[in-house]
Amino acid sequence: MRVAVVPPPTVASPQPRIKRRRGHGEAGAAWAYVSPAALIILGLGILPMAWSLVLSMQSSDLITPPQWIGLKNYEVISQDPSFRAAVVHTLVYTALFVPLAIAAGLGLALLLNREIRFIGFYRTLVFVPFVVSATAQGVLFSFIFDSHFGLANAILHRLHIPTQGFFADEHQALYLLVLIALWSGVGFCVVVYLAGLQDISKDLIEAAAIDGAGRVATFRHIIWPALRPVTVFLVVWETLQALQVFDMVFVTTRGGPLESTTVVVFFVWQQAFEVFNAGYAAAAAYVLAFGLLVLSIGIRFAQRRDDKEVSRS
Amino acid sequence: MGPLLSACGSDSDTGESADGTVTITMWHGQADEAKATIDKIVTAFQAKYPKIKVDASSGGVLADSMLQKITTALSSGHYPDIAYIFGPDIANVARSPKVANLQPYVTKPEVKWDDFYPAAREAVTVDGKVRGFPALVDNLCVAYNKKVFREAGVPEPTGDWTWDDFVALAKRLTDPAKGRFGTGWPAVGDEDCVWRIYPMIWDLGGSIVDDSGKKIGFDNDSGLKALQIIHQLGADKSVYADTKPGSETMYQIFNSGKMAMVATGPWELPAFVDAKTEYGVVPLPSFSGKRMTIAGPDTWTVFDNGSAKIKAAVQFLQFLTDAEQDVQWATQAGSLPLRKSTAESAEWKQHVSSTVGLDVFSDALQYAKTRPTVRAYPRISQPLGQAIVKMLLNKDTPETALQEVARAANAALVTG
Amino acid sequence: MTPVSGRKRRGWLPFSPWHFVLAPVALVFGLPLLWLVLSSFMTNAQINKFPPTIIPDSLHLDGYRYVLQNALFPRWFLNSTIVALVVVIGNLLFGILGGYAFARLRFGGSKLLLTLMLGTLVIPFQITMIPTFLIMKKLGLVDTLGALIVPSLVTPFAVFLFRQFFLSLPREIEEAAWIDGCSRLRTIWHVVVPMARPALSTVAVLTFLTTWNDLAWPLIAINDDHNYTLQLGLATFQGQHRTQWSAVMAGNLIAVLPVLIAFLAAQRTFIQSLTSSAIKG
Repeated sequence: MRVAVVPPPTVASPQPRIKRRRGHGEAGAAWAYVSPAALIILGLGILPMAWSLVLSMQSSDLITPPQWIGLKNYEVISQDPSFRAAVVHTLVYTALFVPLAIAAGLGLALLLNREIRFIGFYRTLVFVPFVVSATAQGVLFSFIFDSHFGLANAILHRLHIPTQGFFADEHQALYLLVLIALWSGVGFCVVVYLAGLQDISKDLIEAAAIDGAGRVATFRHIIWPALRPVTVFLVVWETLQALQVFDMVFVTTRGGPLESTTVVVFFVWQQAFEVFNAGYAAAAAYVLAFGLLVLSIGIRFAQRRDDKEVSRS
Repeated sequence: MGPLLSACGSDSDTGESADGTVTITMWHGQADEAKATIDKIVTAFQAKYPKIKVDASSGGVLADSMLQKITTALSSGHYPDIAYIFGPDIANVARSPKVANLQPYVTKPEVKWDDFYPAAREAVTVDGKVRGFPALVDNLCVAYNKKVFREAGVPEPTGDWTWDDFVALAKRLTDPAKGRFGTGWPAVGDEDCVWRIYPMIWDLGGSIVDDSGKKIGFDNDSGLKALQIIHQLGADKSVYADTKPGSETMYQIFNSGKMAMVATGPWELPAFVDAKTEYGVVPLPSFSGKRMTIAGPDTWTVFDNGSAKIKAAVQFLQFLTDAEQDVQWATQAGSLPLRKSTAESAEWKQHVSSTVGLDVFSDALQYAKTRPTVRAYPRISQPLGQAIVKMLLNKDTPETALQEVARAANAALVTG
Repeated sequence: MTPVSGRKRRGWLPFSPWHFVLAPVALVFGLPLLWLVLSSFMTNAQINKFPPTIIPDSLHLDGYRYVLQNALFPRWFLNSTIVALVVVIGNLLFGILGGYAFARLRFGGSKLLLTLMLGTLVIPFQITMIPTFLIMKKLGLVDTLGALIVPSLVTPFAVFLFRQFFLSLPREIEEAAWIDGCSRLRTIWHVVVPMARPALSTVAVLTFLTTWNDLAWPLIAINDDHNYTLQLGLATFQGQHRTQWSAVMAGNLIAVLPVLIAFLAAQRTFIQSLTSSAIKG
């Protein structure tokens, strides 16, 4: 990786030196830097993707020789009410989780971004759920939200609020999953936002205060714009996570009750490993991928705007 | 082709090594006592047959995740010689050309194939070919909490009862004020939810797949009546529908004295004993007065990594399931004998007499039926599971639920 | 702990009024955690009771005993540590290099390469797992820690995140370093990396956690119990019909501890000291 050549320090004018170096070793250096990442990501990403694309055009159980059936899986899937339901559940979950996680993350970060006693304790407490494995969370919330014997209903009962079905109610289970995901996922947003907030110059905020800007104005004109890159990152990341949610569903509901929490990736898993319909599963995965692709193109456009803004500044 | 494919995996996969030693790999998917028992049996086998090295491990998974693991393993051509496969899954796994055909081996007299219970033998036979050895056989009976009956002032069930009696009894024992349920039923819609309905269907003259093999055999009064029974439990709110995977909560509730009766297998008895539950066991209710239950057999499926390995695997499984070892496995792992000769043994009889209710499960081996080993089975089980959950949660009528099952499952049966 | 900031001390309360807002928040996040901790000190019978036991009568160590008596547990801990550390280092190293190249250097095909790399994020792992397994088999890595390390040694996410971050940094500082005669790698190491702390911490925390808590992939890739990770080992405590819940809880708490310690350490370096180190101020 010794591509960047150190020029002799005797060269007088800095300008041409930079230019020469840029033109000379730049592409070589770039490839040297990128190649480990490219090798691993493409080798272990593109290859499996291509494989699954082929699989999605086959009738395959992964066990016997597959048959080529072209786009038949896609035709069937467009008519499949279970898949459609899975897409709807995934979208509802994502549409609720992402904005709530971002808003709560930002709110909590603003709250936790102050120097008072025990602040480290509060920060840690908010973050720890993010660390707890899905298995432990599954057990935990199965106890808390059991429809008849859970802690949550015991509390509701004491407060004279009607007890709820929770995981036994097909109209509540999905929202409950969002709630649990928020409990465990907000901590990450908080940490990222906290890092972003610490990065905003205190002088700038104090200067604004001196200029008579209120809290809201300071937030709108200084804090929020400064947090924009962090927010974009969080939206992209959390959306990807939400659209591919699986672990929590697997340990708490297995898609139930009455398929009310069957999300796309769980549907994919079920088709591939429960009913031996791997080709169909791959097609379902590709439909999700296509949706994500459209989404990411949109985000890239937004990003490009961002990049331009940055390069202008 | 077998050795060629697996040669890139590990070095020992070529079958027989130069000195005549054969190494076989076994994924048993067991933990705790069951794992310890297998380890012990492997050690004993090793002492007796030094030429066969058995590399037994859980395979990195418990039995629940074995199917996913084996599917991946088969698709990559890197698979063990023996794996623990659930009964309902073997038909699909056996589609693979990499699953061994044990027919030529099991006819040998020393295997004593006929000594296995019929349900156990059927469970490892797909399309007339033997694909493995029976690994475990259990069945469903009803366990009841004596304390709950006593407190409610209701006489304990005798086993001479009908499903209508069961429904009525469950309703009588339900007491919302005390948070007490008559019975429980897994409501994830998985196999543990589904297999509990088959004894009713069979008793009513139905079948899972009809004789043509192209249609379900319960799209008639048998399926309807069975769903109606569950529907009644749901409507009476006398059933705790356990919507969490694993059905563990259901048994916890039973053990905590908040549930009167639960259909269960012999595997749960050690947990009852641990929880100091005062329990009794009676056979499942029926409609006809005839005894009926379902056997849930699991299998040691054998895979083809060359004939030397198949032969060694058979040798080992023969040892593992031999009466002497079988009784250890059955007593320590909380299951039932695989062989009739095991059930006759003094050791087993002594074990039965020391465990409350085990005799009822042991007797049920005589009449327990198994699910057919058909490939479309998972696609029958899935819609049927959803129909049962609808009944438990009181969401649909038995008629429309059955129609939906028939539509989905028949479509799967036609396409194969 | 930082003392109450002197400037805005309120007279009517011995503590900051913000605690009135923060305490309920702490309760919401803390209560489930508290029960998780308590349950690890219960006996199996207590956990298995319904309605659940909330506070154990005394601190039972059954769960911890079960976990620690398992001769392989330290090994699993070590395996998880090795895998997670190597993956974190790999992601930081290759992520920084790749991200820097995409952000600062011009080279043919960079756009296409970046798009391809990001494209791999859109297929769920549940489906690419099988071809990944095939590749691991070809590399001879199945049932080794390598199978757990290589596929996540550098993720598109790390490259992307570093690229985004570098794009937001002003070029002038780097160019000043150029002028001082620093080589490109030295510039990255001495100038760019110190400025990239928020990105470093984000990537480190996320990759560490996803690797540490991953279960789906080890389940497929590992057979031998000597090569288990912590999560895989803990999963084997959940029997087909009976689960050693106290052991699962105790094991999970033990598994959480190093992550917690890492976070507490990271909190100081990455969150609190950022302002002082950031050059942008």
